[in-house]
Amino acid sequence: MIDELSNPDIPVPDELKASVTITTLDKIYNWSRRSSIWPMVFGLACCAIEMICTAASRFDISRFGMEVFRATPRQSDLMIVSGTVTKKMVPQIVRLYNQMPEPRYVIAMGACASGGGPFKEGYNVVAGIDKYVPVDVYVPGCPPTPQALLHGLIKLQEKIDSQSLRDVRWYKSETNEPVPVPVLGPDLMDPRQYQLIKQRALQAAAQAEA
Amino acid sequence: MYGSGILAGLGVTLKHFVDSYVDDLKFLGQRYYNPASLNQRQGTRGKGVFTVQFPEEKLPTPERFRFIPFLLYDEKPDGTHDDRCTSCGICAKVCPPQCIWIKRSNDPVTGRPVPQPAAFYIDIDICMNCGYCAEYCPFDAIKMDHDYELASFDRTSAHIFDKQKLDKPVAYYASLRPTDYAAEELVRAEEEAKKAAKKADAAAKAAAPATA
Repeated sequence: MIDELSNPDIPVPDELKASVTITTLDKIYNWSRRSSIWPMVFGLACCAIEMICTAASRFDISRFGMEVFRATPRQSDLMIVSGTVTKKMVPQIVRLYNQMPEPRYVIAMGACASGGGPFKEGYNVVAGIDKYVPVDVYVPGCPPTPQALLHGLIKLQEKIDSQSLRDVRWYKSETNEPVPVPVLGPDLMDPRQYQLIKQRALQAAAQAEA
Repeated sequence: MYGSGILAGLGVTLKHFVDSYVDDLKFLGQRYYNPASLNQRQGTRGKGVFTVQFPEEKLPTPERFRFIPFLLYDEKPDGTHDDRCTSCGICAKVCPPQCIWIKRSNDPVTGRPVPQPAAFYIDIDICMNCGYCAEYCPFDAIKMDHDYELASFDRTSAHIFDKQKLDKPVAYYASLRPTDYAAEELVRAEEEAKKAAKKADAAAKAAAPATA
Protein backbone atom coordinates (compact mmCIF):
# COMPACT_ATOMS: atom_id res chain seq x y z
CA MET A 1 0.00 0.00 0.00
CA ILE A 2 2.84 2.38 0.88
CA ASP A 3 4.39 1.74 -2.54
CA GLU A 4 1.10 2.54 -4.19
CA LEU A 5 0.82 5.88 -2.39
CA SER A 6 4.42 7.02 -2.42
CA ASN A 7 5.55 9.64 -4.88
CA PRO A 8 8.35 8.28 -7.07
CA ASP A 9 9.52 11.78 -8.04
CA ILE A 10 10.93 12.49 -4.61
CA PRO A 11 13.45 9.85 -3.50
CA VAL A 12 13.57 8.82 0.16
CA PRO A 13 16.95 7.70 1.56
CA ASP A 14 17.13 3.96 2.14
CA GLU A 15 17.64 4.25 5.89
CA LEU A 16 14.42 6.27 6.21
CA LYS A 17 12.23 4.12 3.98
CA ALA A 18 10.84 2.16 6.92
CA SER A 19 9.45 5.24 8.62
CA VAL A 20 9.03 7.95 6.00
CA THR A 21 6.89 8.08 2.89
CA ILE A 22 6.23 11.03 0.65
CA THR A 23 2.94 11.30 -1.15
CA THR A 24 0.69 13.91 -2.64
CA LEU A 25 -2.42 15.21 -1.00
CA ASP A 26 -4.44 14.13 -4.02
CA LYS A 27 -3.24 10.57 -3.74
CA ILE A 28 -3.97 10.17 -0.07
CA TYR A 29 -7.32 11.96 -0.41
CA ASN A 30 -8.39 9.73 -3.29
CA TRP A 31 -7.02 6.61 -1.66
CA SER A 32 -9.02 7.20 1.49
CA ARG A 33 -12.15 8.05 -0.49
CA ARG A 34 -12.02 5.08 -2.80
CA SER A 35 -11.28 2.66 0.03
CA SER A 36 -14.43 3.56 1.93
CA ILE A 37 -17.23 4.02 -0.57
CA TRP A 38 -20.42 3.45 1.32
CA PRO A 39 -23.32 2.44 -0.91
CA MET A 40 -26.93 3.08 -0.10
CA VAL A 41 -29.30 0.24 0.77
CA PHE A 42 -31.25 0.54 -2.39
CA GLY A 43 -32.56 -2.23 -4.60
CA LEU A 44 -35.09 -1.85 -7.36
CA ALA A 45 -35.43 -5.15 -9.20
CA CYS A 46 -33.69 -8.42 -9.99
CA CYS A 47 -30.27 -6.74 -10.25
CA ALA A 48 -30.59 -6.04 -6.53
CA ILE A 49 -30.35 -9.78 -5.88
CA GLU A 50 -26.98 -9.86 -7.64
CA MET A 51 -25.94 -6.80 -5.66
CA ILE A 52 -26.83 -8.63 -2.44
CA CYS A 53 -24.77 -11.60 -3.66
CA THR A 54 -21.86 -9.24 -4.24
CA ALA A 55 -22.16 -8.01 -0.70
CA ALA A 56 -22.32 -11.54 0.74
CA SER A 57 -19.28 -13.50 1.78
CA ARG A 58 -18.57 -15.26 -1.51
CA PHE A 59 -17.65 -12.09 -3.39
CA ASP A 60 -17.38 -9.91 -0.34
CA ILE A 61 -17.67 -6.25 -1.23
CA SER A 62 -15.90 -5.44 2.07
CA ARG A 63 -12.59 -6.27 0.43
CA PHE A 64 -13.03 -2.88 -1.24
CA GLY A 65 -14.25 -1.15 1.91
CA MET A 66 -17.81 -0.97 0.66
CA GLU A 67 -19.56 -3.32 3.03
CA VAL A 68 -21.22 -0.55 5.04
CA PHE A 69 -24.54 -0.30 3.23
CA ARG A 70 -26.09 2.82 4.72
CA ALA A 71 -29.83 3.06 5.18
CA THR A 72 -29.82 6.82 4.70
CA PRO A 73 -28.65 8.95 1.77
CA ARG A 74 -27.03 11.39 4.21
CA GLN A 75 -24.31 8.89 5.05
CA SER A 76 -23.76 7.24 1.69
CA ASP A 77 -21.32 8.05 -1.11
CA LEU A 78 -22.60 5.73 -3.78
CA MET A 79 -25.99 4.95 -5.20
CA ILE A 80 -26.15 1.66 -7.04
CA VAL A 81 -29.25 1.95 -9.20
CA SER A 82 -29.84 -1.76 -9.39
CA GLY A 83 -32.74 -2.54 -11.64
CA THR A 84 -35.67 -1.21 -13.61
CA VAL A 85 -36.49 2.40 -12.83
CA THR A 86 -40.23 2.84 -13.13
CA LYS A 87 -41.78 6.25 -13.68
CA LYS A 88 -43.38 5.98 -10.29
CA MET A 89 -40.01 5.36 -8.62
CA VAL A 90 -37.94 8.01 -10.36
CA PRO A 91 -39.05 10.99 -8.18
CA GLN A 92 -37.92 9.11 -5.08
CA ILE A 93 -34.58 8.20 -6.68
CA VAL A 94 -33.88 11.79 -7.67
CA ARG A 95 -34.87 12.97 -4.21
CA LEU A 96 -32.52 10.43 -2.62
CA TYR A 97 -29.76 11.55 -4.98
CA ASN A 98 -30.31 15.18 -3.99
CA GLN A 99 -30.10 14.22 -0.33
CA MET A 100 -26.72 12.53 -0.74
CA PRO A 101 -23.80 14.73 0.29
CA GLU A 102 -21.01 15.47 -2.18
CA PRO A 103 -18.86 13.69 -3.33
CA ARG A 104 -21.51 11.30 -4.56
CA TYR A 105 -21.41 8.68 -7.25
CA VAL A 106 -24.00 6.75 -9.19
CA ILE A 107 -23.61 3.34 -10.76
CA ALA A 108 -26.23 2.26 -13.28
CA MET A 109 -26.31 -1.48 -12.77
CA GLY A 110 -27.79 -3.64 -15.47
CA ALA A 111 -29.50 -3.01 -18.77
CA CYS A 112 -32.65 -1.41 -17.36
CA ALA A 113 -30.92 1.24 -15.28
CA SER A 114 -28.41 2.06 -18.04
CA GLY A 115 -30.66 2.23 -21.07
CA GLY A 116 -34.07 0.87 -20.22
CA GLY A 117 -33.17 -2.66 -21.28
CA PRO A 118 -36.09 -4.73 -22.54
CA PHE A 119 -38.48 -2.05 -21.28
CA LYS A 120 -36.84 0.79 -23.14
CA GLU A 121 -40.09 1.65 -24.88
CA GLY A 122 -42.34 0.69 -22.00
CA TYR A 123 -45.14 3.00 -20.96
CA ASN A 124 -44.13 2.91 -17.31
CA VAL A 125 -40.35 2.63 -17.38
CA VAL A 126 -37.66 5.28 -17.54
CA ALA A 127 -35.26 4.41 -20.37
CA GLY A 128 -32.08 4.88 -18.38
CA ILE A 129 -31.55 6.68 -15.09
CA ASP A 130 -28.94 8.89 -16.80
CA LYS A 131 -31.82 10.98 -18.15
CA TYR A 132 -32.31 12.27 -14.60
CA VAL A 133 -29.14 11.93 -12.54
CA PRO A 134 -25.50 11.91 -13.74
CA VAL A 135 -24.21 8.35 -13.93
CA ASP A 136 -20.52 7.62 -13.31
CA VAL A 137 -20.25 3.97 -14.29
CA TYR A 138 -22.49 1.86 -16.48
CA VAL A 139 -22.43 -1.88 -15.83
CA PRO A 140 -23.99 -3.88 -18.67
CA GLY A 141 -25.61 -7.26 -18.16
CA CYS A 142 -29.05 -8.58 -17.45
CA PRO A 143 -28.35 -8.87 -14.62
CA PRO A 144 -24.60 -8.32 -14.29
CA THR A 145 -22.98 -11.16 -12.37
CA PRO A 146 -21.45 -10.26 -9.01
CA GLN A 147 -18.04 -10.25 -10.68
CA ALA A 148 -19.28 -7.86 -13.36
CA LEU A 149 -20.58 -5.52 -10.65
CA LEU A 150 -17.25 -5.76 -8.82
CA HIS A 151 -15.56 -4.79 -12.07
CA GLY A 152 -17.85 -1.78 -12.23
CA LEU A 153 -16.94 -0.84 -8.67
CA ILE A 154 -13.23 -1.12 -9.51
CA LYS A 155 -13.88 1.17 -12.47
CA LEU A 156 -15.49 3.64 -10.09
CA GLN A 157 -12.39 3.47 -7.90
CA GLU A 158 -10.32 4.25 -10.99
CA LYS A 159 -12.51 7.25 -11.64
CA ILE A 160 -12.09 8.47 -8.07
CA ASP A 161 -8.32 8.01 -8.42
CA SER A 162 -8.31 10.19 -11.50
CA GLN A 163 -9.96 13.14 -9.74
CA SER A 164 -7.90 15.95 -8.34
CA LEU A 165 -8.52 18.20 -5.34
CA ARG A 166 -7.83 21.20 -7.58
CA ASP A 167 -10.84 20.76 -9.79
CA VAL A 168 -13.39 18.69 -7.88
CA ARG A 169 -16.70 20.48 -7.99
CA TRP A 170 -17.62 20.06 -4.32
CA TYR A 171 -14.92 22.44 -3.08
CA LYS A 172 -15.82 25.15 -5.55
CA SER A 173 -17.60 28.23 -4.27
CA GLU A 174 -20.59 27.99 -6.59
CA THR A 175 -23.58 26.23 -5.10
CA ASN A 176 -24.62 22.90 -6.39
CA GLU A 177 -28.12 23.06 -7.81
CA PRO A 178 -30.22 20.04 -6.87
CA VAL A 179 -31.61 17.95 -9.69
CA PRO A 180 -35.26 18.95 -10.13
CA VAL A 181 -37.51 16.16 -8.89
CA PRO A 182 -39.62 14.88 -11.78
CA VAL A 183 -43.35 14.83 -11.28
CA LEU A 184 -45.41 11.90 -12.38
CA GLY A 185 -47.69 13.21 -15.11
CA PRO A 186 -51.17 12.02 -15.98
CA ASP A 187 -51.54 8.53 -17.36
CA LEU A 188 -51.69 8.07 -21.09
CA MET A 189 -55.16 6.69 -20.56
CA ASP A 190 -57.39 7.45 -17.63
CA PRO A 191 -59.69 4.44 -17.12
CA ARG A 192 -62.41 6.74 -15.75
CA GLN A 193 -62.62 8.44 -19.13
CA TYR A 194 -62.96 5.17 -20.96
CA GLN A 195 -66.44 5.87 -22.35
CA LEU A 196 -65.36 9.26 -23.70
CA ILE A 197 -62.20 7.84 -25.27
CA LYS A 198 -64.20 5.07 -26.91
CA GLN A 199 -66.70 7.57 -28.30
CA ARG A 200 -63.95 9.73 -29.77
CA ALA A 201 -62.16 6.73 -31.23
CA LEU A 202 -65.39 5.61 -32.92
CA GLN A 203 -65.97 9.15 -34.25
CA ALA A 204 -62.42 9.29 -35.61
CA ALA A 205 -62.86 5.89 -37.27
CA ALA A 206 -66.17 7.02 -38.85
CA GLN A 207 -64.53 10.21 -40.12
CA ALA A 208 -61.64 8.25 -41.60
CA GLU A 209 -64.09 5.96 -43.42
CA ALA A 210 -66.17 8.84 -44.79
CA MET B 1 -31.82 -26.46 28.97
CA TYR B 2 -32.33 -22.89 27.81
CA GLY B 3 -29.68 -21.53 25.48
CA SER B 4 -28.37 -24.86 24.19
CA GLY B 5 -29.43 -23.90 20.68
CA ILE B 6 -27.48 -20.65 20.90
CA LEU B 7 -24.42 -22.55 22.12
CA ALA B 8 -24.71 -25.05 19.26
CA GLY B 9 -24.93 -22.18 16.78
CA LEU B 10 -21.96 -20.42 18.29
CA GLY B 11 -20.11 -23.75 18.10
CA VAL B 12 -20.72 -23.88 14.34
CA THR B 13 -19.42 -20.34 13.96
CA LEU B 14 -16.37 -21.18 16.07
CA LYS B 15 -15.72 -24.28 13.95
CA HIS B 16 -15.76 -22.16 10.77
CA PHE B 17 -13.51 -19.61 12.43
CA VAL B 18 -10.94 -22.27 13.39
CA ASP B 19 -11.33 -23.91 9.96
CA SER B 20 -10.38 -20.69 8.21
CA TYR B 21 -6.98 -20.76 9.98
CA VAL B 22 -6.43 -24.51 9.65
CA ASP B 23 -7.22 -24.32 5.94
CA ASP B 24 -4.70 -21.51 5.42
CA LEU B 25 -2.02 -23.73 6.93
CA LYS B 26 -3.03 -26.71 4.80
CA PHE B 27 -2.40 -24.84 1.53
CA LEU B 28 0.99 -23.54 2.70
CA GLY B 29 0.55 -20.11 1.20
CA GLN B 30 -0.89 -21.45 -2.05
CA ARG B 31 -4.47 -20.86 -0.99
CA TYR B 32 -5.11 -17.75 -3.08
CA TYR B 33 -4.50 -16.79 -6.72
CA ASN B 34 -4.27 -20.42 -7.69
CA PRO B 35 -6.92 -22.02 -9.96
CA ALA B 36 -6.63 -25.46 -8.35
CA SER B 37 -7.17 -24.18 -4.83
CA LEU B 38 -9.98 -21.88 -6.02
CA ASN B 39 -11.71 -24.93 -7.45
CA GLN B 40 -11.31 -26.81 -4.18
CA ARG B 41 -12.45 -23.88 -2.08
CA GLN B 42 -15.59 -23.47 -4.18
CA GLY B 43 -16.37 -27.19 -4.14
CA THR B 44 -18.38 -29.18 -1.61
CA ARG B 45 -15.24 -30.03 0.36
CA GLY B 46 -14.17 -26.42 0.67
CA LYS B 47 -13.52 -25.21 4.19
CA GLY B 48 -12.66 -21.91 5.69
CA VAL B 49 -12.89 -18.65 3.78
CA PHE B 50 -14.39 -19.30 0.35
CA THR B 51 -14.35 -15.73 -0.95
CA VAL B 52 -13.38 -15.27 -4.58
CA GLN B 53 -10.61 -12.67 -4.59
CA PHE B 54 -12.15 -11.13 -7.68
CA PRO B 55 -9.74 -9.02 -9.70
CA GLU B 56 -6.88 -11.47 -9.12
CA GLU B 57 -8.85 -14.69 -9.37
CA LYS B 58 -12.08 -15.24 -11.24
CA LEU B 59 -14.66 -17.97 -11.07
CA PRO B 60 -14.38 -20.15 -14.17
CA THR B 61 -17.37 -19.42 -16.38
CA PRO B 62 -19.48 -22.40 -17.38
CA GLU B 63 -19.30 -23.28 -21.07
CA ARG B 64 -22.84 -22.14 -21.79
CA PHE B 65 -22.55 -18.91 -19.82
CA ARG B 66 -24.14 -16.08 -21.82
CA PHE B 67 -23.21 -12.45 -21.83
CA ILE B 68 -23.03 -10.05 -24.77
CA PRO B 69 -23.20 -11.53 -28.29
CA PHE B 70 -20.32 -11.32 -30.77
CA LEU B 71 -19.92 -11.92 -34.50
CA LEU B 72 -17.87 -14.73 -35.97
CA TYR B 73 -15.58 -14.61 -38.97
CA ASP B 74 -13.66 -17.34 -40.74
CA GLU B 75 -10.05 -16.63 -41.50
CA LYS B 76 -9.19 -17.31 -45.12
CA PRO B 77 -5.79 -18.80 -45.99
CA ASP B 78 -4.63 -15.42 -47.34
CA GLY B 79 -5.35 -13.74 -43.99
CA THR B 80 -8.51 -11.84 -44.94
CA HIS B 81 -11.67 -12.15 -42.88
CA ASP B 82 -14.77 -13.80 -44.20
CA ASP B 83 -17.80 -12.74 -42.15
CA ARG B 84 -20.27 -15.48 -41.48
CA CYS B 85 -23.01 -12.88 -41.10
CA THR B 86 -25.09 -12.39 -44.23
CA SER B 87 -27.08 -9.47 -42.78
CA CYS B 88 -30.33 -11.41 -43.10
CA GLY B 89 -31.66 -9.62 -40.03
CA ILE B 90 -33.19 -12.60 -38.26
CA CYS B 91 -31.29 -11.82 -35.05
CA ALA B 92 -32.53 -8.23 -35.10
CA LYS B 93 -36.09 -9.48 -35.59
CA VAL B 94 -36.08 -12.03 -32.77
CA CYS B 95 -34.19 -9.81 -30.33
CA PRO B 96 -36.73 -9.18 -27.52
CA PRO B 97 -35.30 -5.81 -26.42
CA GLN B 98 -34.48 -4.80 -30.02
CA CYS B 99 -30.84 -3.95 -29.39
CA ILE B 100 -29.40 -5.10 -32.73
CA TRP B 101 -29.18 -2.73 -35.68
CA ILE B 102 -27.90 -3.97 -39.02
CA LYS B 103 -27.17 -2.02 -42.19
CA ARG B 104 -27.09 -4.13 -45.32
CA SER B 105 -24.45 -3.53 -47.94
CA ASN B 106 -25.01 -3.14 -51.66
CA ASP B 107 -22.66 -3.77 -54.50
CA PRO B 108 -21.30 -0.35 -55.52
CA VAL B 109 -21.52 -1.16 -59.24
CA THR B 110 -24.76 -3.05 -59.72
CA GLY B 111 -26.53 -1.80 -56.56
CA ARG B 112 -27.63 -5.29 -55.68
CA PRO B 113 -27.56 -6.42 -52.04
CA VAL B 114 -24.43 -8.27 -51.00
CA PRO B 115 -24.63 -10.87 -48.21
CA GLN B 116 -22.32 -8.84 -45.97
CA PRO B 117 -23.31 -6.38 -43.26
CA ALA B 118 -22.17 -2.81 -43.94
CA ALA B 119 -22.65 -2.00 -40.29
CA PHE B 120 -23.65 -4.03 -37.28
CA TYR B 121 -24.41 -2.44 -33.93
CA ILE B 122 -25.39 -3.95 -30.61
CA ASP B 123 -26.33 -1.68 -27.74
CA ILE B 124 -24.95 -3.75 -24.87
CA ASP B 125 -26.78 -1.60 -22.35
CA ILE B 126 -30.06 -2.82 -23.83
CA CYS B 127 -29.06 -6.44 -24.47
CA MET B 128 -30.67 -8.81 -21.98
CA ASN B 129 -28.27 -11.72 -22.63
CA CYS B 130 -31.12 -14.06 -23.62
CA GLY B 131 -29.18 -15.69 -26.45
CA TYR B 132 -32.07 -15.75 -28.93
CA CYS B 133 -29.89 -14.22 -31.64
CA ALA B 134 -27.37 -17.04 -31.30
CA GLU B 135 -30.17 -19.59 -31.18
CA TYR B 136 -31.92 -18.36 -34.32
CA CYS B 137 -28.94 -17.49 -36.51
CA PRO B 138 -29.03 -19.92 -39.47
CA PHE B 139 -25.35 -19.31 -40.27
CA ASP B 140 -23.86 -19.70 -36.75
CA ALA B 141 -22.62 -16.16 -37.20
CA ILE B 142 -23.56 -14.66 -33.85
CA LYS B 143 -22.71 -16.28 -30.53
CA MET B 144 -22.76 -15.34 -26.87
CA ASP B 145 -19.51 -14.19 -25.31
CA HIS B 146 -18.17 -14.96 -21.84
CA ASP B 147 -16.56 -11.59 -21.21
CA TYR B 148 -18.46 -9.76 -18.49
CA GLU B 149 -15.93 -7.08 -17.59
CA LEU B 150 -17.47 -4.37 -19.71
CA ALA B 151 -18.28 -1.58 -17.26
CA SER B 152 -17.27 1.86 -18.45
CA PHE B 153 -17.77 5.56 -17.82
CA ASP B 154 -19.65 6.46 -20.95
CA ARG B 155 -22.59 4.70 -22.47
CA THR B 156 -22.69 6.14 -25.97
CA SER B 157 -19.01 5.84 -26.82
CA ALA B 158 -18.16 2.58 -25.07
CA HIS B 159 -21.35 0.58 -24.85
CA ILE B 160 -22.68 0.65 -28.39
CA PHE B 161 -20.58 -2.04 -29.98
CA ASP B 162 -19.89 -1.71 -33.68
CA LYS B 163 -18.78 -4.42 -36.05
CA GLN B 164 -15.12 -3.87 -35.30
CA LYS B 165 -15.68 -4.52 -31.61
CA LEU B 166 -18.02 -7.44 -32.20
CA ASP B 167 -15.94 -9.33 -34.75
CA LYS B 168 -14.06 -12.29 -33.32
CA PRO B 169 -12.44 -15.28 -35.01
CA VAL B 170 -14.04 -18.71 -35.05
CA ALA B 171 -11.05 -20.05 -33.12
CA TYR B 172 -12.06 -17.83 -30.20
CA TYR B 173 -15.54 -19.35 -30.24
CA ALA B 174 -14.06 -22.85 -30.43
CA SER B 175 -12.00 -22.16 -27.32
CA LEU B 176 -15.01 -20.65 -25.54
CA ARG B 177 -17.53 -23.43 -26.18
CA PRO B 178 -15.76 -26.54 -27.44
CA THR B 179 -18.82 -28.81 -27.10
CA ASP B 180 -21.18 -26.58 -29.05
CA TYR B 181 -18.51 -25.86 -31.62
CA ALA B 182 -17.84 -29.57 -32.26
CA ALA B 183 -21.56 -30.32 -32.65
CA GLU B 184 -22.07 -27.41 -35.04
CA GLU B 185 -19.03 -28.33 -37.11
CA LEU B 186 -20.39 -31.87 -37.45
CA VAL B 187 -23.70 -30.55 -38.79
CA ARG B 188 -21.92 -28.18 -41.16
CA ALA B 189 -19.70 -30.97 -42.50
CA GLU B 190 -22.77 -33.15 -43.08
CA GLU B 191 -24.53 -30.38 -44.98
CA GLU B 192 -21.44 -29.71 -47.04
CA ALA B 193 -21.24 -33.41 -47.93
CA LYS B 194 -24.93 -33.42 -48.91
CA LYS B 195 -24.43 -30.34 -51.08
CA ALA B 196 -21.40 -31.89 -52.75
CA ALA B 197 -23.31 -35.13 -53.40
CA LYS B 198 -26.20 -33.15 -54.94
CA LYS B 199 -23.81 -31.24 -57.16
CA ALA B 200 -22.13 -34.44 -58.28
CA ASP B 201 -25.57 -35.94 -58.95
CA ALA B 202 -26.64 -32.95 -61.05
CA ALA B 203 -23.38 -33.02 -62.96
CA ALA B 204 -23.77 -36.72 -63.65
CA LYS B 205 -27.37 -36.15 -64.85
CA ALA B 206 -26.28 -33.30 -67.11
CA ALA B 207 -23.54 -35.43 -68.55
CA ALA B 208 -25.73 -38.53 -69.01
CA PRO B 209 -28.04 -37.30 -71.88
CA ALA B 210 -25.05 -35.98 -73.82
CA THR B 211 -23.47 -39.39 -73.95
CA ALA B 212 -26.77 -41.23 -74.61
